[in-house]
Amino acid sequence: MEKVEIHDLLYKVEKPARYLGNELNSVHKEIDEHTIRYAFCFPDVYEIGMSHLGMQIIYHLLNDKKNIFCERVFAPASDMEKEMRDNNVPLFGLESRQALNNFDFLGFTLQYELSYSNILNMLDLAGIPLYSRERTEEDPIVMVGGPCAYNPEPIADFIDIVVLGEGEEVIIELLELYENEKKNGGYTKSAYLEKAAQIQGVYIPSLYNVTYREDGIIESFEPINPNIPRRIQKRIIQNLDEVFYPEQVIVPYLNVVHDRVMLEIFRGCMRGCRFCQAGMIYRPVREKSVDRLSDLAEKLITSTGYEEISLASLSTSDYTELHKMVRHLIDKYSEDKIGISLPSLRLDNFSLELVKEIQKVRKTGLTFAPEAGSQRLRDVINKGLTEHDLTNAVEKAFASGWSNVKLYFMLGLPTENDEDLLGIRDMALKVLDVFYKTPKEDRASSINVTVSTSTFVPKPFTPFQWEPQITLEEIKRKQSLLNENLKRKNLTYNYHDSKTSLLEAVFARGDRKLSKVLEVAFKSGCKFDGWYEFFNYDKWMEAFKETNIDPYFYTRRRAYDEILPWDHINVGVTKDFLIKENERSKNAEVTGNCRDTCSACGITQTFVGGIC
Amino acid sequence: MLMYKMRSKFYKKEDMVFISHLDLLRVFERAMRRAKIPIAYTQGFNPHPIMAFATALGLGISSDAEYIDITLYESVDENVFMDRVNKVLPEGLKLVKSKDVSIKEDSLMSIVKSSSYLVRFILNEKMDKNIFEEKLKEFENLDTIIIKKEKRKRKGNRWINKVQEIDIKESIHSIELAQIEDMEVMLRMKLTAGEVGNIKPEIVLEELANHVNINYNKDSLRIHRINLLNESEEDLMQ
Repeated sequence: MEKVEIHDLLYKVEKPARYLGNELNSVHKEIDEHTIRYAFCFPDVYEIGMSHLGMQIIYHLLNDKKNIFCERVFAPASDMEKEMRDNNVPLFGLESRQALNNFDFLGFTLQYELSYSNILNMLDLAGIPLYSRERTEEDPIVMVGGPCAYNPEPIADFIDIVVLGEGEEVIIELLELYENEKKNGGYTKSAYLEKAAQIQGVYIPSLYNVTYREDGIIESFEPINPNIPRRIQKRIIQNLDEVFYPEQVIVPYLNVVHDRVMLEIFRGCMRGCRFCQAGMIYRPVREKSVDRLSDLAEKLITSTGYEEISLASLSTSDYTELHKMVRHLIDKYSEDKIGISLPSLRLDNFSLELVKEIQKVRKTGLTFAPEAGSQRLRDVINKGLTEHDLTNAVEKAFASGWSNVKLYFMLGLPTENDEDLLGIRDMALKVLDVFYKTPKEDRASSINVTVSTSTFVPKPFTPFQWEPQITLEEIKRKQSLLNENLKRKNLTYNYHDSKTSLLEAVFARGDRKLSKVLEVAFKSGCKFDGWYEFFNYDKWMEAFKETNIDPYFYTRRRAYDEILPWDHINVGVTKDFLIKENERSKNAEVTGNCRDTCSACGITQTFVGGIC
Repeated sequence: MLMYKMRSKFYKKEDMVFISHLDLLRVFERAMRRAKIPIAYTQGFNPHPIMAFATALGLGISSDAEYIDITLYESVDENVFMDRVNKVLPEGLKLVKSKDVSIKEDSLMSIVKSSSYLVRFILNEKMDKNIFEEKLKEFENLDTIIIKKEKRKRKGNRWINKVQEIDIKESIHSIELAQIEDMEVMLRMKLTAGEVGNIKPEIVLEELANHVNINYNKDSLRIHRINLLNESEEDLMQ
């Protein structure tokens, strides 16, 4: 098979190291006719994709199998894309530099909705037909996974296979089935897909028919024959100590977003914040043991030479043996100047001593996410932390010399009013106040508080999945209200573009009708929609107009009894629980965390009980 | 604490030419950890290994002679050092010589004075060897070779672009034709490098092309560094 010729192009583009494919711990294999070729495709640039832990896991999991060769593919930056198109170079696997149409599978990870246009662009760059129904037996099978795959409907027409839930086992089952079908002779894609539909966690969109009512709401969603499951259940890994985890990860040459050893300490989250999709879809909580983690840490540090290790999870301070784990890492690695980072620490059990300890090696800023400015609204979203937690934490932090504090909030949460917004200002001022009250000899000479707001996007499988998104005008009004009120010395206010939040909301809760919009938008040049410099709102609005689809149909309030586009997917958390939580939110009733009380979300009924 | 300085010469070629100077620093840092070399760190909140290169090499340029000083907190045998580091360096990067020098030894940056290059490019139209050599002579006989350099300067709160005129005549120590075959030309240049100022071969080529009227394809330009030289025009690690 021929390699694509890119050497001369690399002299012309920015950051050519993105396209080399020979980084430390990358895998290169001999290819023969028995090799199953899998392309792990990340629909964004190299620096974003290489920061993704899931890719490192799947890449090494697959490459551990003798007959499978998994390569990486990222969206080429626009300068490289232009060179490739001008020189008729198709999109290729980084490791083999062979065109994607030589592959058996393309697996796209869906990390955020605004990357969908890049998926179409990447298929197009590879010369592969966009629509699933237009692809032949010769074309690769296109599959998706990741958080947005829990509502894959907006891109369902482009996709052959959707993998729901944690992929380590199901991906191997899918590839083994493929291998067997090929071995037995008479392989056809349609027979393969029908058999694949029987595997738990596998959803084949083409095997279902959707009908709509006159008002655009779904009327029915039915499998095309009785052998196909009506509801598709996600997959989870029972035992995290036994599941595959890479002992070496690819170390990029370029400075990527997360450039360190990432050690996953547990999956799931016990908190139940009502806006948070990750907190619902990744249930139940399952931890890795300190022994397993210590072993992995040693192997990963040795094989990469990294100078930093990060303990990754949705809420790091909820790991039951966090102190023991951190103590171990400090004792073992501080001599070698290996830093430890603990992202996603919570305020309410914020352990400053712990952070102080790790910052003796390397010092970083402090980030807190109160999410809402008033106690009432924090109770509405079930973010159970108080202003006292914040002031208490920063008081100790300032006394130990910290001078940089970042505060994250959301705008447009259900029931939010201007009083709640001004609460954001009050919190920021209180933080400044705490700083100035700290004795001068203890604290740093200056202070910097950064307030960042993102716009609330209602997501599937959360208690807020029925809630509307506020209008663009309302977002802008709220942003300028905050802007006015946060104009102070030592205060910085950042906010997201309201228009990208609208598009995100449309695709997060979208249905199959949106694939047409996506196609038209892509053909008119939309790509890298998550990048401010590329996002073209007008082109998107033209695409909606041309296809006669109203974006606001998707941002509206949904009724409890309507069929939602993702109702055929079972994540374990029941609709009854989500409704109950949404109702509780209206009265600002807090629901306790899973460790204290079980709130019967349903996860233990669908999956093996007693593990959360 | 007693410190040691390991001076090394290495090459950078093949795919490694696409690794920038900053990225190269990280490659070395991580290679040192994997090779279990006792590297010394800077003090402070964000400790960095103490490493220093002779000069930065531009992106896309290959080199037979890059130099790096790495400070160690324990003495390591030169050959052991080379072996262990070469085992973990990626293909295209390799130490060719390592020497334990005095910690007080002058820095590489201060001893480098010039750099020799091979510069390859394709002409847009055929040219005889004689004619090309005449043109080179004409270029060498110029009294001054003025280039315009844009410099971003800070004036109060804003940045302004200031154009500076520099005569690079003295920075071109030599320039000669190594080979000309059909349209393909190979030049050998020796240019000023180091603390006194770095002059890039692509700039010299552009000036040459402008002054004596040579048409070439800019995309075809490939540059290779042959060596870095000290005051006595010798290798930095004699």
